[in-house]
Amino acid sequence: MFFRMIRGTFTKQLGKMLLIAFTIALGASLATAMINVMMDVGNKVNAELKTYGANITVSPKGASILSDLYGVEEGTGDDEFLSEEALPKLKTIFWSYNIVDFTPYLKGRVTLDESDVMLVGTWFDHHMETPSGESLDTGMREMKTWWDIEGEWLTDDDDDECMVGIGAAQKYGIAAGDTITVNKGGSSAEYTVKAVFDTGSDEDDYIYTTLKAAQELFGRQGLISSIEVSALTTPDNELSKRAAQDPQSLSAADWETWYCTAYVSAICYQIEEAIPDCSAKAIRQVADSEGAILEKIQLLMILITALALIGSALGIMNLVAASVMERSQEIGLLKAVGAHDIQVIGLVLTEIMLTAVLGGVLGYIAGMGLAQIIGMTVFSSSIAITPVSMPLVAVLVLCVALIGSIPAIRMLVKMNPTEVLHSN
Amino acid sequence: MADKSKSVTAQDNEDILVLEGVSKIYGELKALNNVDLKVKKGEWVAIMGPSGSGKSTMMNIIGGMDKASEGRVILDGMDITKESAKSLTNIRRDKIGLIFQQFHMVNYLTAVENVMVAQYYHSMPDEEEALQALDRVGLKERAKHYPSQLSGGEQQRVCIARALINYPKILLADEPTGNLDETNENVVVEIFRQLHNEGSTIIVVTHDPEVAAVAERTIVLEHGRITKNIINHNDYSKPINLRDYEGLSDEMLLGKG
Amino acid sequence: MKRSSFYFKMVTGALLRKRSRMLVALLAIAVGATIVSGLMTIYYDIPRQLTRELRSYGANMVVTPADGTKLTYEEIETIRALLPAENTVGTAPYRYETVTLNSQPVTAAGTQMNEAAATSPYWNISGEWAADDSSIMLGSKVAQLVNAKVGQNVELEADNGAGEGVKNTYTVSGIVETGGSEENFIFMTDTALDSFMGDTDSFDTLECSISLQGDELSGLAERINSSSDRVNARLVKRVTESEGTVLTKLQALILIVTIVIIVLTMISVATTMTAVVTERRREIGLKKAIGASNREITTEFLGQGIFLGVCGGILGVVLGFLFAQYVSNSVFFRSVSFIWGLVPVTILSSVAVTAVACLIPMRSATNIDPALVLKGE
Repeated sequence: MFFRMIRGTFTKQLGKMLLIAFTIALGASLATAMINVMMDVGNKVNAELKTYGANITVSPKGASILSDLYGVEEGTGDDEFLSEEALPKLKTIFWSYNIVDFTPYLKGRVTLDESDVMLVGTWFDHHMETPSGESLDTGMREMKTWWDIEGEWLTDDDDDECMVGIGAAQKYGIAAGDTITVNKGGSSAEYTVKAVFDTGSDEDDYIYTTLKAAQELFGRQGLISSIEVSALTTPDNELSKRAAQDPQSLSAADWETWYCTAYVSAICYQIEEAIPDCSAKAIRQVADSEGAILEKIQLLMILITALALIGSALGIMNLVAASVMERSQEIGLLKAVGAHDIQVIGLVLTEIMLTAVLGGVLGYIAGMGLAQIIGMTVFSSSIAITPVSMPLVAVLVLCVALIGSIPAIRMLVKMNPTEVLHSN
Repeated sequence: MADKSKSVTAQDNEDILVLEGVSKIYGELKALNNVDLKVKKGEWVAIMGPSGSGKSTMMNIIGGMDKASEGRVILDGMDITKESAKSLTNIRRDKIGLIFQQFHMVNYLTAVENVMVAQYYHSMPDEEEALQALDRVGLKERAKHYPSQLSGGEQQRVCIARALINYPKILLADEPTGNLDETNENVVVEIFRQLHNEGSTIIVVTHDPEVAAVAERTIVLEHGRITKNIINHNDYSKPINLRDYEGLSDEMLLGKG
Repeated sequence: MKRSSFYFKMVTGALLRKRSRMLVALLAIAVGATIVSGLMTIYYDIPRQLTRELRSYGANMVVTPADGTKLTYEEIETIRALLPAENTVGTAPYRYETVTLNSQPVTAAGTQMNEAAATSPYWNISGEWAADDSSIMLGSKVAQLVNAKVGQNVELEADNGAGEGVKNTYTVSGIVETGGSEENFIFMTDTALDSFMGDTDSFDTLECSISLQGDELSGLAERINSSSDRVNARLVKRVTESEGTVLTKLQALILIVTIVIIVLTMISVATTMTAVVTERRREIGLKKAIGASNREITTEFLGQGIFLGVCGGILGVVLGFLFAQYVSNSVFFRSVSFIWGLVPVTILSSVAVTAVACLIPMRSATNIDPALVLKGE
């Protein structure tokens, strides 16, 4: 009989039940979409922030600071270089998956028109096979997205060509298409200028060519002077700050946690482990800012999600309460013919819960679609579906439907059947 | 038949309502089967019959809430069978005062405001007039009460006041005493007597033999046909007490037409 | 006049005397309007807040003097006056000189420390910022090179402007760690470096951190360039270009999330209103029976819908602003500005949604046969 009555409600009040199911589905889809987007927004924004460029530099351990200094001649020791062969090892570390891009540099001062200029050899669009069998394209083009290029990017085969910073170009009166000759000690090289670039920073005074060309010019075959690495990282916290000071000071458990979290300091540490005699340091300008902005965006999304959840919860509760009250007459009749409170409540709750499950399932499916639409529109990549969103949404929908029924149920229990039947 | 209807309007003792061969067919079922009826101005008519006899259908057709499948309904000289739903609404508003078994008040308006609703849809709400109408049904002092604060009898009296407020040609009451106890039943019937004496045309649909008996004329419907047309000889000069009425006997009602 | 006042009575009567049901509807509308106004405020305010937040990436504009010359204090102040005060996070002038520390040539940078702290919030200082002219900060690589610790005294030597050798002793107040080339520098106050070198008015660059982006920022650079041919303002492309990309994405994210939430909320408000109106079919039947036209009934419900929409909208404006304020305070530690333009938008949209929500069930409700309803269906 109980089921017959439930079936009766569903067939007779199909329209109303569908309306409730529809509202629940809307709320559930909103919750699903927002929870998934919120959970994944960190990764997405992190990837976007990669446009700020590398966040780790790797240099030889004992490297003299002299070569970097204003107007000071570089040192000459052979020990101040890293081996080019060590580069693939970057993709063997624990967090290798988080290393998005990297590029090696070989820097040195050369003479052009009888004055000194910095010449840098690097990768532009280097293709490599990693030890793990992955294939990877990396280099300047990926990492210096903000460079304003007049002309064309170099490729890794353009050993006779170069790119000149706008500062150097103005100083020496160089334009794209020109040919320049640079000297280094006894050797000299001739490059065709393929592009002039503008970055608004020190690099504007440099000349860039391929790594191979620079190694030949400097006579440093197979050597590089530094590596820039762009890695996806987790915002720093107290633990990672402590670890950055001295990893050895951590307790075994803390050390484990730190090592297995993508903190920038942990990644630096792992790079130092992988490449012999190197020093990997976080570029604070990028690493710190990333952390701060990521945290803000995540907090923002959490608050917006909370608002969306509260909004949809109230909407569902409203409708559930209204629909139960609407049927006070029918329920009064049930009580008049001898139904116990518990039976009436059971009936109402079963109906509401069945509707909630129906709406919730539809809403969950729709919500996953909605999350993908958001992901594709904003980030042009799909949002990873968080498994935890399913139980979360299920509990949310059922709780909301249950809470929405409470005021109505209280009213039903208090209700005197005769009153309801008489006051139309 | 057509000639007859034209002559109707010309008569001195004019027929306010004429049904000519009215049938209402629902699929196989004939709820009303070729009914002819004339109600004179100022007449008090009761329509009786068992459930399913077609009372409600007839009431709805007279009240402009339903349309006849066949035949003509002439209300106040106007054939309403061909009218659109919109002009039926106007006819209902201007010519008919409706009273229901369930009292049907707008539950968020006071008694006097419920009367004024009818004025509002008709023309202009006038609180003075609405209060007078309530006074007539003896409810002036309850004017500011909400439906939930009124008894069933009081609510029905408000509905009568509302039905009368626009001076309808016909007062159409569907089981007006169906939900009332004996005392309130008497009050309502007494109001009908006074209205009748003032010249109102009243059509009451009822299954209560006593209420049917106090009317001037009782029409009995069976299976969609009028089977009896009984003239009651009542004295309307003094207040009516329903206890004095035996009611129409079963033989009278169910005897052969 | 009388007729319209009775209309008003009927509209408000239904709202005031059916209080609990109407509160349910009002709550739904108010929540919807809150979401609309709250999210729109956030959407409009986020770029401003984030632009400021992104200033943690440091200077986005660098002003340099024309070739071979230096910037004077006066010129620095002239440029500062050109910058919009409310958007200027910091402007740090730098003077670079080569000095010798432990017989090693090192670059010393003289700057205004409070401004440097504002333009370069990412500097990690072990110890303290150099507060006075007798203290200096060492880049971490310099500190490593000379094996200097915080609190230690170091002696700097240089050739001053007049070509004479000068030396002075300073206390190391802090070690600067940035992961960038700053680690190779020594930092001291501009006045300390001036007095050490024995001259003044010789800044090499002015680093500006301005919370503007895109065309506004490049317009500002152009204004500075055209103000004097002695200076050259350039945008730090790495920061400005990347900021553009990131901000566009984030704004798009907030926008689409806002749209999705608003659309779903509106539908949910509409379903609630639909339920509320559908509930009153019996009343509609009664009014039709006593002679109300469809038009009159529709007008009544519309009146109630609009009334609820206005009330809910006003509530939503207030609550939405409070929500946006709360979000901004907890995320960005700054308050949002009240956007007056959103008041009509919120109220109109909530009125429109409730009105439409009332009209949808109206179509079927006015088609009800009054006889059927009154028979006690």
